Order: sequence, then structure tokens, then C-alpha cells
Amino acid sequence: MGTVSRGAPSRGGSLAAERRQAYLLVAPAVAVLAAVALYPIGAALWLSLHRHIVVFHERSFLGFANYRFLLADARFWSALGHTAYFTVVAVSAELALGLPLALILHEARRGRGLLRALVLIPWAIPTVVAAKLWAWLLNPSYGLINRLLGGADINWLGHPVLALHTAIVVDAWKTTPFVAILLLAGLQGIPEDIYRAARVDGASSFRIFRSITLPLLRPALALALLFRTLDALRVFDAIYVLTEGGPANTTETLSLYAYKTLMRAGDFGYGATLSVVTFLCVALAAAALVRGLGRGWEEAR
Amino acid sequence: MLALLSAACQRGHSPGERARLVFKYQPLWGDPAPLREHLARFAAENPDLDLRVETLPNSTDLIHQFFLTALEGGDDSFDVLVADVTWIPEFARAGWIADLSDGFPPDGLRAAFLPGPTDAVVLGGRTFAVPWYVDVGLLYVRTDLTPRAPRTYDELRSFARAAMERHPSLAGYLWQGRQYEGLSCNVYEAIWGHGGQAPEVGRRILLDTAAARTGLLYLHDLIASGISPPLVTSAAEEETRRVFQDGRAVFMRNWPYAWAELQAAGSPVRGRVGIAPLPSLSGQPGPGTLGGWQLAVNAHAPPERRRAAARLIAHLTSPEANLLMALAYGRNPARRATYADARLRAQAPMIADLAPLVEHARPRPVTPYYQLFTDLLQGEFSAAISGIRTPEQALARAQRQVDRLIGWAP
Amino acid sequence: MRSRGRGLGYAVAVVALLTFFLGPFVWQVLTSLWPDDQLGRALPRSLTVGAYASVLGGRPFVRWIANSLAVAAATTALCLLIGTAAGFALAKLEFRGRRLLLGAALAISMFPPIATVSPLYLALRAVGLRDQLAGLVPPYATFALPMTLWILSSFFRQLPDELYQAARVDGCTPLLAFRKVLLPLAAPGLFTTAILVFIFSWNEFLYALTFLSSPEKRTVPVALSLLAGEHKEPWPEIAAASVVATLPLVALTILFQRRIVSGLTAGAVKG
Repeated sequence: MGTVSRGAPSRGGSLAAERRQAYLLVAPAVAVLAAVALYPIGAALWLSLHRHIVVFHERSFLGFANYRFLLADARFWSALGHTAYFTVVAVSAELALGLPLALILHEARRGRGLLRALVLIPWAIPTVVAAKLWAWLLNPSYGLINRLLGGADINWLGHPVLALHTAIVVDAWKTTPFVAILLLAGLQGIPEDIYRAARVDGASSFRIFRSITLPLLRPALALALLFRTLDALRVFDAIYVLTEGGPANTTETLSLYAYKTLMRAGDFGYGATLSVVTFLCVALAAAALVRGLGRGWEEAR
Repeated sequence: MLALLSAACQRGHSPGERARLVFKYQPLWGDPAPLREHLARFAAENPDLDLRVETLPNSTDLIHQFFLTALEGGDDSFDVLVADVTWIPEFARAGWIADLSDGFPPDGLRAAFLPGPTDAVVLGGRTFAVPWYVDVGLLYVRTDLTPRAPRTYDELRSFARAAMERHPSLAGYLWQGRQYEGLSCNVYEAIWGHGGQAPEVGRRILLDTAAARTGLLYLHDLIASGISPPLVTSAAEEETRRVFQDGRAVFMRNWPYAWAELQAAGSPVRGRVGIAPLPSLSGQPGPGTLGGWQLAVNAHAPPERRRAAARLIAHLTSPEANLLMALAYGRNPARRATYADARLRAQAPMIADLAPLVEHARPRPVTPYYQLFTDLLQGEFSAAISGIRTPEQALARAQRQVDRLIGWAP
Repeated sequence: MRSRGRGLGYAVAVVALLTFFLGPFVWQVLTSLWPDDQLGRALPRSLTVGAYASVLGGRPFVRWIANSLAVAAATTALCLLIGTAAGFALAKLEFRGRRLLLGAALAISMFPPIATVSPLYLALRAVGLRDQLAGLVPPYATFALPMTLWILSSFFRQLPDELYQAARVDGCTPLLAFRKVLLPLAAPGLFTTAILVFIFSWNEFLYALTFLSSPEKRTVPVALSLLAGEHKEPWPEIAAASVVATLPLVALTILFQRRIVSGLTAGAVKG
């Protein structure tokens, strides 16, 4: 080291200097976020107040009429229901699978690096490719899954109820590694001495896990829960490739509905409204999660 | 960052440079050499142009999305673009594709090209695109399992059942029932086969007709009675093609592309497949849906480039080009005369046999509203064939939504 | 280290999980070697590399991978640089607007990307970055930054304050203390974030499709979407292409993973 710090002596001076340094450090992030995100989001908000059908060059200000229509739109409420159900089930499954996976990776002795890299493969494959991979596995006539089930004829992606659950399994397959790697990083942050001390005290593995590992893992769990929920609420690629929202819109999620409205119909106005409302739903979920997990954040140690 | 920006901002031509002409299309499956040579000939004949070719992904949705975003944003970085047959009214209404009536007068088009594609590109007496190649829905038949191709729906059902009884593991009739545009094609074919004109496009888009209800019911019953396996509700073209190619089905509705696959070396059904028009209620050949792609000119391009683009389109849709596309890529010609060409008959007889089928291919509703309501219809069609709603309910709902969409009121 | 005496149950769990997560990919590799006309069978009778020849022959795969690499590397570097600085400030320093920044960042990442495509397209055209690889980096960074900020700030907050204070008392500025003391300890978090941002940027499809048009600027996900014919879906070729496209990521992940291990041993010297 050997550098004499500036503004270190007095308490008040160091606080001001600290704040200045903080702003300096944070400025680039704020700049990038503002520069790129503000315009598109602002544009979307503005568009949502208009009737803007691109092909007809129709553009008229409607105020909140789009939102009023949305509240009465049965297809929106269906999409919301599907999205909520998808999120709850998928994220639960991912956390339930991700934790054991992270524990296994943490404990692995031989071939650690390779194992961890391999497990990351589902996450690394582009979503579209992963969905196509699963579409082939789930093919009613040729798919491995039906063959393993003894030549069963199950129409995984064409049955109204089964399709959504199949999509959930595919999503869980793809994103559990993401959860696992977050939890793994959290596990690696727990110092060894704590375990040693507990074992010296004669605690069983299960007790150690419950009383030490789990609480110390809370920040990582909270992060995983937060980001997975946000992503699941906006799921698009996998469902588009697997079912395109079918059959009969039973797997249509909010993002898919917004996509079809924006890019197929060219209805930029209502599409923007759907996007804004999707965003609001996600924001509400995030706020609820952050508030509920708020204790988990501060309680790092 | 700033250096990057400034370097990127340096665009534009210096005087004396060749004008750039950009052709955007989706890649054709097969050897790229023949098309490249054909384009090279155009480049050689037009030394003042720098021809560039850019490919798009092979998904209709993605291409539509790309063009929607780019053309709405006033993009002029490409000149000739491909357009699906249902997009022309939409793009023309939006003013994104140029009027080509000077280079391609409507009467000339009508005389040389097939009626279906011509109707899709000539709007209000003006030409907005030129057909590049066409597609038509047709019936594939296992000639070793049935005496002949069925002409009526009753024959389809009885032939299929007879074959299924002799070979219990067979599926009867495969078609595309997944919720996407392919389903709409199948449903329209069923409606037309039952004598309907739906959807009728006038002041109102009429969906809820007797023929439409019967057609949807027919499709639903195919699955319910077991003639079509449940997998059709998640099947697109390839899924049905593979099952049929494995010899596990008696009939299949698909596009002409499947023929080459079915007759390829190593195909289990090679030599045992025939094609026929779709059946209908009356026994007359049922119309197949018109598919295929057209070439249009980007209206945002400056006039000189638009003229050059029109020349490129003429080159790509010439009789010689039609023949090349058919022989090298299996793309069905849009020009009527090409089907009678002796070289086509010699080297690709199946395409030559398609002449009567493509002559009667019927386009989907030619309206700028098509993209707006096709999505609604797919959902309702899917609900009807899955049994979630009855055809009456599905069509009534669809009618309500479409009426509201185009602002029709009684 | 914890004892591994759980025996059978543990082994079963390991096998089950590995089968579930790796099985489909193994099947994908098998499919890529499967002759197309034998796809109807339960298992291939013979294997062929024809799909790889078709996919790699005559296609500039190396160029595509290079493009994806360039964009992903730039995005990751940018995010780490900005994110580390901001994450540290968010975790350890007192200033107003902490919550606001985290919340706003989260809000931005929550916005459905499809609604931003059209406005961003217009914006990029306006600054001349359309059809430039560099034009992808700002949008990617923007959508990856929130995750970066949250993960890094959480990691930094977990690091013991005492070390940091000790360094400050010894006469270091906050920045120096950060660099010399906390950064090495935060290595696991940094590399985790780096991997996640890299993979996100590598696999991003929507913006890459819309903002780039020249063939030589294609990135891998868009290039993969070009493989199918208009109706035909060549399964072995698609499988082969996806295997080739995933291998660089796997290789890079193995590299990163080793760094995480070294970060772990560095972090074990604590307290």
C-alpha cells in the first residue's frame, strides 16, 4: 500500500469524500442504463396511450382506453393466469432441483471443473436450440421420451393441459443450472471453519445443513428466486418454439401475446400496452419478493 | 466508444462508385451454385450495379418481424425483398413496397402467371409484387394401400379405415393441426371443400358460415373418430412428413416439397406414393391453399435503385429463372408456360404434374387485415379441433373479435 | 471437508440429476451423428458425420463464432468494469439513491425486450450503429447490468467489513482498499457474473436478428436459424450445428470454472 489517503482524518470529511467517490463509481452504470433504456421504455409507455396500427398508419391518442380494453380482455387474463402458474411451478421446481445440484457440485472431488462445466451446458445452449432439442425428444412418434415409456403415444405438446406442464419441465431443465451456479457461488462463500467447529461440536450433517448452510445461503437463494421469477414471468423463446402458444392459446404467456400483437398484427399501440402491463406485473412481483426477502439480504452473516 | 461511433457514422457513397443493390431473401435448401450463377449473370449484364445478397432466417414469423421493424423504421438498406403471399396487401397498404405497374403491367402478369398468385399481387389494378414461386396444398396417397386417390370425404374416411383395419398400426390421415398458419391453411381447405367461400372479404369479413362450421366439424371428427392420430394437434409439416415417410400413414396433406424427400434414396415409401388434389364434399377436386413467395421492391429506396430493383426482379422471374428454380431447388414455377416446358417434364415430372393443382390453388383472404386477424383465427381453429369449443362457439367468438378489429358494426 | 458417507442415496441422486441435465445433450450429440433416413428407428444402425460436413462445409462458422465472441467479450468486459465499481459503491459506501438505483436497474431488466426492438432500431439507425457489431453492446450491457449490479453488490456486502476497515485505517483510500483487499475475495462472484453475462450475450437472438443484416456480421444464434429449409427441418444438421455452437461456451466455462476454484482457495483464508 503505502499511499496516504486523502480526507481520512475527520469523520465528516471522509463521509463527504465517500459519497463523492460513490457517485463517481456509480455514474457509468447510471449513464449506460439511462442512455439505452430510457428511450425505448419511454417510447413504449407513450405508444401504449395510442392506437397505432403500423400498416394503416393509424395513430390516434386514446388516453387510457387501451388499458380499459385490456382489463376486459379475456385473452389477457388467460395469458396472465398461464404466466403466473408457469412462474410459480417452474421457479419452485428450479429451486428444488438447483439446491441439490449445487450441493453435489460443491462436494465433487474428481473432475470438478469438467463436471461444473458440463452441468452448465443446458444453460449455455441457446434457448431456441434447447427448445428444438426437447421438441424432438417429445415428438409423439419418434421422441425418446415416448419410446422410453414403451411406445406410448402421449401428445406432450398438443394436449391442452399437458402442454403447459411440458413447457415448465423444459424451462426447468434449461435454467436450473443458472440457479445451481448462483447457489454454488454462495456455498463457496461459506468459510470452512464454521463447518469444522460445528462438527467438533458433534452436529449431524442434516443439522449442519439446516442450521448453518441454509441460513448462510439465504442471500444467494434470494437472488436466485428474484431473477428466476423475473425471467419466468417473461418467458417467450421456449414456449414459442415448443407450442407457439397453442393448443388453443392454452400455453400463451404475456410475452407471447405481446409479441403476436406487436410483430404479427403490427398493433404497436396495444402491444405496447401489453408490454407495459407485463412490466407492471413483473415489477409488483419483484417488489413483493424484495420486501419479503429484505431480511435475507441484510442477514448475510 | 466515441471513436467507434464516429467510424460507424461514415457511410454513403463517393461519386463514381457503383450503386448498391441489395436482395434480401430466405435461403433455398439445396446447392447455392445455380442461383448464384443466375445472379452473376445479372451482375455481368449490369456492370454499373454492385449486387449484394443477404439471407434471412427461414421462419416466416421472423422474416415478417424483421420487415415490419425495418420498413416501419424507413430502412432503405435493401432494395428487393421476398414477401409471403399474404403480406402483399399489408405491405402495399402501408406504402412499404413500390408500385411496379410500369415494369409489370397487370394484364401482362395475368396472361403469363398463374391466376392465384396474380390475384395476390395485383391490387386495385396495380402490381405490387411479382410471384417468384408457388406452393399448393395437396394430398399424398400411399398407392400400395389404397385403390386410388379419394375424391370425396366419405371416400377418404372409408379408404383410410379399410387400410387401418388391414394394418392396425397405421394412421389414417395426417395433416397439420398445430396452432400456427399451417392450421389455417388446413381449415380453409376444409371450408372450401365443403363449398364455402369463407372467409368472405367484403365490407365485412365473414367467418361464421354454414360451410365453415361443417369444415371445422369435419376436422374435429377426423381426430375424434381416430382417423387422424392425436399427434396432429402438435404437428407441423415436418412432423407429418416424417411419420408418412416412415410408412406409418395412409394419407397426408402437405406441400409439394415433401415429394422430393419421400422419393429420396433410402426412403421407406419410395415408389409407393402418389399425389392428388384434396378431396371435397362434391367429388370435384378440392382447392389447395396457395402458398409461395413473391418479390417486391422497397418503396423507401430512391428511384434509380427502384428501377434497378425492378430489373433484378424481371431477371429472377423470367421463364428461364422459373425453370432453374424448379430444376435446381424444386420450387414450383409461377409462370403457366413453364409447366408445359419439355425440359421440366423430362427432369421434374412431378412438378409438371402439378399444373392443374396450382391452376386452382386458392389464395387466403387478400386483405391488409390478414395479419391482424389470422392470429385470432388460429386460436379459435385450434380450440375447435381440440374439442375445447364447438365449431359454432369458436367461429362466433372469432367473428366477434374480427368485427371489433376492423371496426365493423351492423 | 464434509464426510461423504451418505452412500447409496447420494449416488442415486447424482446419477439422476446428471442424467436429467446431461442426457438431452448427449442425445443431441447422438442425433447429430444419426443418418437422416434412420431417424424413424429407436437407435441408429450406423453413425455418420455427414451432418457436420454439411453444416461446417462452405459455411463461415468460424466467422460467426468470432462475431459472437467479440460481442460477448465486449459486453462482459463492460458489465464487469461498470458493475464492479457500482456494486462496490452500492455495497460498502453510504450515499443517497442506493435503493433507487437497484430498483431502477431491476425495473429496466424487467421490461419485455420485444417492445424495445422497434424504438432501439430507430435509435441505432440514428447514431449509425445499425448493422454494426458494436451496436449490439450497449443494449446487451443494459439488460445484463441489473443482474450484474445485484449479484456483485450482494457479494461485496457479504465480505467482512473488518478487512476493509483495517485497510482504510492503514491509510488506503476506499478504492485502493477495494482493489487490494476485497477484489480477490470477491473473485467467485466476479467469475459467476462474467459467465452469466457472457452466456446471455452469446445466446441473445432478438436484437442480433433485427439490428444486424450483413451476412458477415451474423452471430451464432441467428446463423443457426438459417439452417432449415422453408419447410424442411434437417434434424441431424440442426443438432450438429447446436453442438458446434455450444462447444466454445463449454470450453470457456471450463476455463472460468478453474478460476472459481482458485478464487475459493483464496477466499478460504479468512477470519
